[in-house]
Amino acid sequence: MAQDLVGFSSDYQFWMQKLSLWDQASTLETQQDTCLHLPRFQEFLRQLYEVLKEMDSNTIIERFPTIGQLLAKTCWNPFILAFDESQKILMWCLCCLINKEPQNSEESKLNSWTRGLLSHILSGFRFDTKEVGLFTQGLGYVPADYCPGLLKNMVLSLVSELRENHLNGFNTQRRKKISLPTSAVVCLWLRHLPSLEKATLHLFEKLISSERNFLRRIECFLKDSLLPEAACHPAIFRIVDEMFRYALLETDGAPEVLVAVQGFTRCFVEALEKKNKQLKFTFKTYFPYASPSLVTVLLQRPEDIPQELWHQPLKHISEMLREIVEDQTHGSYGGPFECWFLFIHFGGWADIAAEQLVMSEAEPSEALLWLLAFSCSPHDGSPQRAQTMVEVKAVLSRLKKLLRSPILSAKDLQAAAAESQDRDPRPPLCQQLIRRLLLNFLLWAPGGHVNAREVIALMAPSDEIAHDMTGFLDQTLYRWDHLRMEAPRSRKLARELLAELRMVGTAMQGPGSPRPRDVMRRPFLRGMSAENEP
Amino acid sequence: MESLLQHLERFSELLAVSRTTHVSTWDPTTVRRALQWARYLRHVHRRFGRHVRIRTALERRLRSQWRQKGASGSAAVPGLNFQALGRCDLLLSLRLLENRALGDAACHYLLQQLFPGPGVPDADEETLQGSLARLARRRSAVHMLLFNGYGENSVLEESVLKTQAELLLERLGEVPKAEAEGRSRFLSTLWDRLPQKNFLKVIAAALLLPPSSPRPQGEELELDTPKTPGEGGQELVHWLLARSDVMAAFCHDLPVGLLASVAGRHPEFSRAYLGLLTDWGRHLHYDLQKGTWVGAEPQHVSWEELYGRFQSLCQAPPPLKDEVLTALESCKAQDGDFQVPGLSIWTDLFLALGSGS
Repeated sequence: MAQDLVGFSSDYQFWMQKLSLWDQASTLETQQDTCLHLPRFQEFLRQLYEVLKEMDSNTIIERFPTIGQLLAKTCWNPFILAFDESQKILMWCLCCLINKEPQNSEESKLNSWTRGLLSHILSGFRFDTKEVGLFTQGLGYVPADYCPGLLKNMVLSLVSELRENHLNGFNTQRRKKISLPTSAVVCLWLRHLPSLEKATLHLFEKLISSERNFLRRIECFLKDSLLPEAACHPAIFRIVDEMFRYALLETDGAPEVLVAVQGFTRCFVEALEKKNKQLKFTFKTYFPYASPSLVTVLLQRPEDIPQELWHQPLKHISEMLREIVEDQTHGSYGGPFECWFLFIHFGGWADIAAEQLVMSEAEPSEALLWLLAFSCSPHDGSPQRAQTMVEVKAVLSRLKKLLRSPILSAKDLQAAAAESQDRDPRPPLCQQLIRRLLLNFLLWAPGGHVNAREVIALMAPSDEIAHDMTGFLDQTLYRWDHLRMEAPRSRKLARELLAELRMVGTAMQGPGSPRPRDVMRRPFLRGMSAENEP
Repeated sequence: MESLLQHLERFSELLAVSRTTHVSTWDPTTVRRALQWARYLRHVHRRFGRHVRIRTALERRLRSQWRQKGASGSAAVPGLNFQALGRCDLLLSLRLLENRALGDAACHYLLQQLFPGPGVPDADEETLQGSLARLARRRSAVHMLLFNGYGENSVLEESVLKTQAELLLERLGEVPKAEAEGRSRFLSTLWDRLPQKNFLKVIAAALLLPPSSPRPQGEELELDTPKTPGEGGQELVHWLLARSDVMAAFCHDLPVGLLASVAGRHPEFSRAYLGLLTDWGRHLHYDLQKGTWVGAEPQHVSWEELYGRFQSLCQAPPPLKDEVLTALESCKAQDGDFQVPGLSIWTDLFLALGSGS
């Protein structure tokens, strides 16, 4: 008990000093310091109350001669009073000082002083001008009547200011400005989940409703939203990631969401690298359910590895994924959906795998084939996946033969990609994969000049497919920029095809026409995910 | 019913007394009884809030109790209304706490009742202790936000105006429609009594409140009170238009953009405002030497100001913008439909706006 009191005494001294320092919380620094200490100070107030309630007024003054100062300074600090239950506990403490029957003038004065402080806490802080005070009085209202409404209006108006600033980018000149530094925004998100969710939803709306197939703009939106940077805090990353996962499931794996996830991850990794010196968290904190070695390999940047050696990490990734996916017991790393969700964060690897398969002279490697098949159809059982791999292999070998011909025609390509008549028709996702391989081939094959328009006409008979191809080309060009790949002829061709597709796209889309619906959906994602709740 | 009404009367008297030095005669028992009465009325509020007849009767009795203030013998200052009954114990407690005349023993008892400490079970859904703590918390929060420079002041100043506007409309709504001219008279009294600059700003804020904002307590009753600011707003506009002196002050003192917003929302106001502007315009004549339009007397509005106001109105979305241009055109036509500057102020305005818009 004695030891408690000793500990308490030193706490008391500590807080007395702090309160003197904070004064009335007038500068930014004192305000920040105050806010950081609010929970601990409240604890101290509780302990103080427990001590004071056992004593009578005179004993309190004897034991704590400076208690008056402590309580007064606390009463004048609006930050303390606005926090949680501090104001209530403070009032309890003050009540302990009240003397029921003051015997002398000193005790009377103490009573009076204490009542003054209590009154101040409840009615003291002025928040209106003289004019406003006269107005409200004239209407017959007291502050207790309108204070809640006033606070609500103030908070609503601040929140909508912040939201407007956020939607329009913090750099916009506004008539009324609230500029929060990034660190403050992150603080808000860390403490108030609904704000974070709203910010993420706004980002989704922006990414998904407009500017499809313009990765550069998507990257701008992402960076402006401050979310990738904020996601360096694992807590924020996990929540945003969860929202992405949900969006993916709800939209059956819509391509826009995939692109958004990849873009977000790219910006996030970039932000993480910038903070490298202060990096406190291991990758496991961001991806707790994934295999650490897999995450490490996925996080490697292809631009840091010589192109000739890309097949190594690809093989590694493929093998690790395959092991997890084909493990019947589902181990501790989740099932196919979790693996796939993790993998598509770093979707660039799948694109590189496709390129490698098309460009290399050697036999297509099983690992790469598996990786591609998995990435496009994660839900497939082993037989279907094997079938896809066989089909792709067949198309690739036909394409390799075409490599030797000096002139390529669109019809040649079509023939190479043709489905064999005696088998089941290819599922749409497999068809999409084949189409992308064809495009890759087109971009890299040295032979002849192909008529871009002819190609598009043959390969993109419908809006959806044209849309898919536009996205693919945009992503490819973007990737080449990032990897600094020199390929002037390929780039030129890619840009031509992209321009052609975009023109066709806008021609097809009249003012009132509905947006092209994507057939590349994966409704089975839901089934996959449900069984793998960790 | 009658006993309830008597109770209400006695409590109102009690509330009035609680601010005076008379409380020096109170002992703990008196305080206890006062708090009990308050608690009872709170219970009544909760219980009969949706019971139309009882509520109406109570409101009527409360209204009749509003005492006159000031020597001018003008209308009564509003006081306790039915909604306030929901926190009458809070109001009473605050008055007693602030009253230095309250004796030590009574005060000590009061504090025990108000702040019993932690671990008190919540028989009632809401304790007085909780309400008081919440009030203190909110007051500090408002003070903190206002005086720590979050954003520019205009963001929060608007909130203060908006709150005042909500209060105004609430009181306006309490004046029964049945009373002939009751609401106009009420507004006129306020105009005479309250600081006028602020009042004008509050009127503008009230006229711009979103039409769907619900009343604070959100209780739906079929009484003759306006349920939405929309109705109250209408009454305000009517009063404003009927009082040419207030209207002139309103249009002179408030920022031009704000007036344009009000005009955009209230067609009657926009018509009257345009009328005022045309009046002002007629007072200007062309000074050949200076090469500009000037007023005959110093209080007449200047060309720049007139132009600024018309410009601001033209920046509003249709139909206001179109209305304004039509009005200008017709003035221009009436004046002789000149195309060259310097002959008719309406032509000049039209020309100046045309190049801008």
